[in-house]
Order: sequence, then C-alpha cells, then structure tokens
Amino acid sequence: MFWHNFKYTLKNLLKNKPLIFWTFAFPLILGNLFFLAFQDIEKKEQLEIFNIAIVEKEKTDHTQILKNAYMTFSEGESELFHIEYVSQEKAEDLLSDKEIIGYVILSENPKVVVSKNGIEETILKTVTESIVEEISLATTIQKEKIIDGLSKPEFDGNIEFLKIQVQKEVEEILKNTTVSLKDNSPTNLSYTMVEFYTLIAMTCLYGGMLTMTSINNNLANMCSTGKRIAVAPTKKRNVIFSSVLASFLVQLLGLALLFIYTIFVLNVDYGNKIFFIFLLSILGSLAGVALGCIIATLLKTNENTKIGILLAVTMSGSFFSGMMGITMKYQIDKNIPIINYLNPANMITDGLYSLYYYQTNTKFYFNVISLLIFSALLIILSIEELRRQKYDSI
Amino acid sequence: MNCIEIKNLTKKYKDVKAVDNLSFEVKEGEILGLLGPNGSGKSTTINCILSLLNYEKGEIKIFNTLMSPTAYEVKKQIGVVFQDVAVFDNLTVYENIDYFCGLYINSKEKRKEYIKDALDLVELNEFTNYYPKQLSGGLLRRLNIACGIAHKPKLIFLDEPTVAVDPQSRNSILEGIKKLRDLGSTIVYTTHYMEEVEILCDRIIILDNGKILATGDKDELKKLAKIEEKVTIEIMDLKKSHIKEIEHFPNVENISYENNTLQIVYKKGKNNVVELLEYLNQNKIKYNKIFSERPSLNDVFLYLTGKELRD
Amino acid sequence: MIVFKTFLKVLNKNKGIILLYTLILLIFAYFNMENGETTTNFYAEKTDIYILLEDENIGLTKNLVDYLKSVSLVKEIKEEKLEDALFYRDVSMIIKIPKNYRIDTLNGINREIEIQSTGDYTASLEKMLLEKYLRIQKIYLNEQLEETKVIEQINETLNKKVTVELTSTLDRSSLSKAKLYFNFSNYAILAGLVFVICLMLTIFKEEKIKKRTLVSSLNYKKYNRILFLSNGLFTIILWLLYVLLGFVLIGKTMLSYHGLFFMINSFIFSMCALSIALLIGNVSQNKEALSGIVNVVALGSSFLCGAFVPMEFLPKSVVKISHVLPSYWFIKNNDLISNLEQISLKEVHPIITNFAILIGFIIIFSIGTNLISKKKLKQS
Repeated sequence: MFWHNFKYTLKNLLKNKPLIFWTFAFPLILGNLFFLAFQDIEKKEQLEIFNIAIVEKEKTDHTQILKNAYMTFSEGESELFHIEYVSQEKAEDLLSDKEIIGYVILSENPKVVVSKNGIEETILKTVTESIVEEISLATTIQKEKIIDGLSKPEFDGNIEFLKIQVQKEVEEILKNTTVSLKDNSPTNLSYTMVEFYTLIAMTCLYGGMLTMTSINNNLANMCSTGKRIAVAPTKKRNVIFSSVLASFLVQLLGLALLFIYTIFVLNVDYGNKIFFIFLLSILGSLAGVALGCIIATLLKTNENTKIGILLAVTMSGSFFSGMMGITMKYQIDKNIPIINYLNPANMITDGLYSLYYYQTNTKFYFNVISLLIFSALLIILSIEELRRQKYDSI
Repeated sequence: MNCIEIKNLTKKYKDVKAVDNLSFEVKEGEILGLLGPNGSGKSTTINCILSLLNYEKGEIKIFNTLMSPTAYEVKKQIGVVFQDVAVFDNLTVYENIDYFCGLYINSKEKRKEYIKDALDLVELNEFTNYYPKQLSGGLLRRLNIACGIAHKPKLIFLDEPTVAVDPQSRNSILEGIKKLRDLGSTIVYTTHYMEEVEILCDRIIILDNGKILATGDKDELKKLAKIEEKVTIEIMDLKKSHIKEIEHFPNVENISYENNTLQIVYKKGKNNVVELLEYLNQNKIKYNKIFSERPSLNDVFLYLTGKELRD
Repeated sequence: MIVFKTFLKVLNKNKGIILLYTLILLIFAYFNMENGETTTNFYAEKTDIYILLEDENIGLTKNLVDYLKSVSLVKEIKEEKLEDALFYRDVSMIIKIPKNYRIDTLNGINREIEIQSTGDYTASLEKMLLEKYLRIQKIYLNEQLEETKVIEQINETLNKKVTVELTSTLDRSSLSKAKLYFNFSNYAILAGLVFVICLMLTIFKEEKIKKRTLVSSLNYKKYNRILFLSNGLFTIILWLLYVLLGFVLIGKTMLSYHGLFFMINSFIFSMCALSIALLIGNVSQNKEALSGIVNVVALGSSFLCGAFVPMEFLPKSVVKISHVLPSYWFIKNNDLISNLEQISLKEVHPIITNFAILIGFIIIFSIGTNLISKKKLKQS
C-alpha cells in the first residue's frame, strides 16, 4: 500500500502541469533572467574609461606641466580617460551631445565644466584638483629648499644654479614618493550570488506546493478523493507519510534540476563547499514540505486560497531575503532582524551567504538549526491536526 | 441477517439537526433506497455510517462490528461511490481505478482481474487510456462508480450516482447496480429521483429533515398516500357546473381544473375512467388527451409532507 | 451595452484577485523606489565609507579623519555588521587606522593604512583620494618633523580648489526617482494589465459564452469592438492609477514637461501592453497557463530591458536582443526624458521616434490578434 500510494502520488504530481511549471520551470526561467541581467553588473561597477576634453585658453608657466599631468591619467595601466584637445566651442558641443563627461579650461586657475553631478564628473574634478595640488606642493617645497639652501654654508651664491638643483631634487622627490595601502578586501564579494541563493530558497519553499497538493488529495474535508481514501482500510498515517515522501522526492528532483542548470548551463560558481550547500538546500526543502503540511492541514479553506497563501508567504519571504533587491536583506537584517530570524527563505539565503562570505561556519550552523526547528515545529503541529480521524463537517 | 444496524443516530451542524434520532437497518442482499429531497440528510447519514463525520449520539454497527475510522476489517468490505466525482484528473481511467482498488487489494494480479470486471460492469473498456477531462459527464460518473466498487465489496454505498447524467448512461448505471446486487452485494442507494428508486430498490426509506417519514417497499409506500388513480384530461372550456358534478362522483378525493386541464385524484382505482368518459359523452363535452396513472412516490411524499419531492 | 455590462460584471466578480494583484504591484513599486535610491545611485559624488579608528583621534590622525570626512560620506555601523555592510555595498570601503599610527608615522616608521574595499568605482575614487592625501603627508613629513607645521602644510595644499561649472540645472535626484518609478511601472503594467485582461478574455471566450454571443443578434465585429473598448477603458483606469501614484511619490517634477512626457510615454506603453494582452488572450485559452505566461512575459521583458537592473549594467548582447521588445523602447524613452534639458527639436526628436516605434508594436500586435482570432472563428 505504501509504495502503491507513493507511486501514484509521484505520477499525479509529475503530470500536474501548472504545479510542475511553478516548481520546476519557473525557477529555471527566473535563474536565466537573473543570469542575463546580472552577469555584467559587477564588472560594470568598475570604472570604465571615459572621454574628456581640454581647452587651452591662455598659456602660462604651468600649461605644459598641467598637460603632462593629465597625460599620465590617460595612459598606462591606471588609465582613467581619453583626452581630446579642442576649442571651447567644440568642447561645448561635445558636452551637450554627451560625447564627453566634461572639459577642463587650462589657465592660471584651471576650471572644470561638467553637465551634471556624477561619479565620473567627480573623478575629473578630483584629478584636476590633485594636479593643481601637486603644483602647489612642488612650489611650497621648492621655496623651503631654496631658503634652506641659501642659508647653508656650502651655498656659492649662484641662485640660478641652486634653483635648478632644487627643482631637480623636488622632481625626484615627487616622482619617488609613493604610498601603499594594505588591502585586506575579502575575495568573495559577488553579491549577485545572493540572487541565486534567494532563487534556491524560493524553489525550496515553492516545493511546499507539491506537499500541499498531495496532502489535500488525502484529506476527506478537502476533496472527494480524500473521502475515498478515508473510507479505505488503510492507515491514514501511512497514506499521508507516503504522499509527503513522494512530494519531497519530486521537490528534490526540481531542486537538483535547478542546481544542474545553474551550475552547468549558467556557470554559477557555488564555491567549494558544495556539500554544505546541498545539505542546506535539502533542509530548506524540508522547510518547504513543513510549510506545505501546515497550510494543507491547519487552514480550512479551498485549495486555490491555500495556493494563494503559500505563494504569498514564499514571495514575501523571498522579498525580505533580497530577491527583488539584494540590499533588502541587508536593510531588514540591520533594522528589523526579527523578520528574518523567522523567515524560512532567509534562513536558506543567509545560510548560503554565510558559507560563501564568512570565514567561520557559526552562522551557517545557526541557520541549519533554525531550519530544523522551523520544520520540526510545523510538522509536529500538522501531525497533531492530522491525528483527528473524523470531521465535524465535510 | 442485517448488514448495517443504526440506532438513534443524531448529527448536528451547529444548531441545525441534519440527522435526527435515526434508526434503521440494512438487510443483506437488498438494495435499500434512501429517498429524500436535497438537504434531507441522506449524505450526512452515509458519511456518519462511514465514520467520516463526528456525530452527537447513536450507535452504528456494520457486519456486527462497531464502526470506527480504524475498523479496517469492516472497511475492507465496503465500497463507496460519492456524490461528487472523486477521481484524479492527472491519472487515466485505468490508473484511477487501479489506485483506488490498490488501497484495498495488494496483489497486482488480482487487481488486474478486478479492474477488468469493473470496466466491464460500467462499460468503460474503450476508454482505459482516457483522462477524466476527456470524458463526458455520463462516462465520468461511470468511472466514479468503477473506482468505488472495483475491489468487489460486500456492502456498497451509492450517494446520488446519477446526478447530471444523460438517460443512456443512467440506464447503464442502473443496470450495473442491479448486476452488483445479483452478484451478492448489499447496496445502499441515495437519490432524489423517485423513478430510480421505483425501478431499483427492494426497500425504500423516505427521509425529510433528518427524520424517517416512511419505510417499506414501493407498493407499501404507495398505499400510504391513500390514493390509487390519477386521471388527467384536456378539455376546452369546461363549465363550473360540470366540475361540481364530477366532484361528486364516487371515490373522488380531489379535483382541479387549470389551463384547460382537468385532474382528478381517486381513492380507489376501479372503472373510474369509464365512468368519466360516459359522463363526458353524455354531456357532449369535447376532450383531447386523456391518461390515467398510478400514484408515484412523489404523491406519497406530497401526501406525507405537503411539499413536492422535486426541487 | 450588454457586452459592456457583462464586462463590468466579470470585473466585479474577480475584483478580489485584481485588487490584490494591483496592490502588491503598487507596494513593490513603492519599495523598489525607496530602496533603489541606495542601490543604484548614479549621481553619487561621494563614497560611502566606514572609518575603523584604533588610534587616538588627535594630531595627524585627526587630520586624516577630518579629511576623509570632508571628501566622503562616513557611515555609522555596528562593528559586527561591518562585513555585511561591505558585501551589500552599504559602504564601499572600510578604512582602518591602526593603533599608534600617529606616533609611529611621526617617528618615521612606515605604518600602512588598512583598507577593505568592494572594488567598485566609488571605492576606486576613494582609494585615489586617500593615496593622494597620504602621499602629500609623506612628502611633507620627509621635509620636516614638526606635526602642527606638517598639518598646516597639508591642509594648505589640499585647499587648492578648482572651480567647477555645472551647465545643467535639472533636478537630477527627482528626475532619476521618476525614471526609476516609471521603469518599474514596466513590470507593474505588464504584469497587472496583461493578467487582468487575459483573465477577462478567457472568461469571455469560454465556450458557452462564445457560442451564445456568436448566435446572438449582435454583430461579431461589433462585439469584438465593444470588448476592445471595455478593455481599453480598463487600461486607462489602471494607467491613471499608476500616474496618480507617481504624483504622490514623485511630486513636483510630475508637473513639469518631464512629467508630461513620462505620462505620454507610459500611456502609449499601456496601450501597447493592452495589445499584447489581447494577443496573448487570443492565443491562450487556458486559465491555468495564464499566470505562467504573464509572469514570464512581464518578468522577462522587465529583466532584459532594464526595468529592474538599469540598462547601463546589462550586458551588451542582452541589450541588443531586447531591441525586439516594446519594453526596451519604453525604458529607453524614460531615460531620454529624464535627461531632457530643454524642449528642442534635437532633444525631443529621438523621444518622438521611440513613441512611433511603440505605436508600430501596437499595430503589429493588433494585426496579429485579428489574424489569429479570424482563423479561430473559422475553425469553430
């Protein structure tokens, strides 16, 4: 009987097209869209080389120095922008056609013209500032060194020579003084991974729909097939357990499909802790089963409403764990953490995120335990409700 | 030998008594009809018997065993055909029958044989690979029956199995039920179609508001109505004086004239039509159609409750 | 009139699910806008950073902190949340000034500032600014060791400001907010409108009603026209709803010519969504398949055309493919409108072209619908 029911539950679920669409195909479609939309977003976070123009309005002592300084930013490894040397009218045209980010008018006090505020505009401004500062820095040090040199006993009275010497010395200093920062940036910073984590979470919880449907089929107060099963000489416990087991299997199948697709087709790199990821996903599916159980048993309403409620719970869970905007999870964790402590979608997402990003596994195990508690609690409640054999009304 | 014994069954939905102190038994080998209008408590009674519903009071024994959700030995002997079609849309005709049959019978070989018998009985052999959605209403009902009886139960409950079914399918269904009885099953049949009960049932219980109004075979019940003949005749422009005279004919219980149709109900059914026709001829009254009927169970119900059985 | 009344009746019967759907979409639109400002802020001028200060905040160290505060936005975050803050780009850089940094630096010992960065462009900017400062500090320190003098010199050097002229006077933040809202409305309009109209159409087309309307005295063409007008009316109502919400969320900007263009754009797009809905409703008769199709169409065109992730962030190949979708032209237009400096032929011309393309889509979809519906009529 157990396997008889198991077999037919499998058949019933796998042939249920809308159900299979939502639990199998929809996550794959969503995964594809995430992939297409996000595959470049992190590359594009880095600076792209942009265009600027330089207008030479009047020649001063510094003009060449300034031009050389800009040149250093438009070549080599740390290239920031391309430079065009044009007349002022041409520069204005280029700016209004959005061909360039802005232009610099070289004079005693260089002036930056941009059309709007923005990061690239800020960079142009910063570069210009640092060039001007560099000149000022050089002048200051030169002055001091000349005064120093004048008062030194070995000074031979040749001021011009001293000046040239100092100038060379300062150039050397400016050229050779570099600073270094100690970069401790974490390696796994790809936040689009969270999108895929929420996708896994959503798939796990959507799977609850399978459990819900098959339990509904077994309940005398939900549908007429349930009545038939209730009058058959079978233990209700066995029928429901085998139905749930079959649903769980179908759900894992859907999850496996998602993993296979994302890993082999979309080339998502889940990292080297794949065993832990599978473990958490299976537990997540268990949470989905539990969610399906509780909605199927505790709510006394029609099947469509039940599906609606399950979808609403899953979607808001995914929403709060960052599916519709990755920072949503962070904002909730930061400001209203209680929501995400209770949110099964977040337990899954956060567990996977912890594996990916944190050095330690404490938070991962915290989420594992949360999922276990969540599932156990709901399943116990469902069993309590299912123990009843007779109904007050059908 | 009694298959089912029910004593003082009472079931309430909130404050409404759906079944009110009901007591009756079902004898082995009979087709018992539970007749009553919608909402009279037929389905509730069956659901109580099957231990699907909680009830306030009463005792239900099937095959001399107290019925409970865990009375698996008893349940093995029971087959139920519910009012709503209870099949899975995603399984074929064959798979549906196999699934429900498999809840009773473990042996695959035996099941195969039983399913074939069930398909023969409801004449669905040609449709084994169809999905329920592809079946017409009548065929679907037949599948519904096959799912309930494939495991060859000794006791079968059929709850309105012919609702919304075309005449051809209905006949096939009724024939099938008779066959089941002939094969030795006891059948409890609920319906609000009195014609079916008349054709099919060995014994009838008339229910209304959760109470038994009458029990007996159809002839016994018809006697209750205290009428034996009903004559309907179409006459154009019958004068009031004539109606008065006819009213005083012997055995006339009731007379009405509406829309050029005269209806006369007689207490006893002898030579009434002859006498009426003679009178009409003598008075040169022209008439068109005339027909005489024996009273139906509807008349019995009307007599007992003062309302029609039909919706 | 009968058709229209039936339409209203069906609408009324399904008001629960329609209201629910619309409400959820409006809530999403709202959340997306509120949240969107922090995620994809194109007009950031300063980098969000966190300063992990382990040294005493005096002298050289204090001057560095003050400098960082002046060139970037320093955030207050609980230390245990720092890792998360970096991952979710709440800050682009964490700058750690180690203990005894000031003393050691003054004594000529090389102490490195520690950074953790997301590596994005605001982090690059911050790194540039920080390195510039440290270099200036180092040069002056090499020349002399008196702390106050060095600080004075650093600040004097950094004080050399460059004049910046801004040619545009547009209220960028408000316009970008409006753009964000209307871009998201791409999803809301598609999902909401297509779902509801397809639902209505399938209910109308259900066999029984179909036969009854076919044999009734009502002319088939007229029937179709009235059904179309009813759906059109519903579209306009929904569009008005979104525009209204736009006024509530965006405010004053909606009253400018930008607002007017945004409204025209979304109106044409709503009509385009209507024609898509009619097409889908005519192709698919299956109520169960409907929500699947709607979700795929709405989510698909929203993701691929930049309603969720700005178009600038999408791979070039995706953007190329998305040219075949009406959403692309709608969103592109939102972008053009938000950058509109003045009403001039040069600037308005591309917007009008996009309008025309959208109308072209409407015509194509309508012809398609007509062909299919005629074919189906003959078959039945």
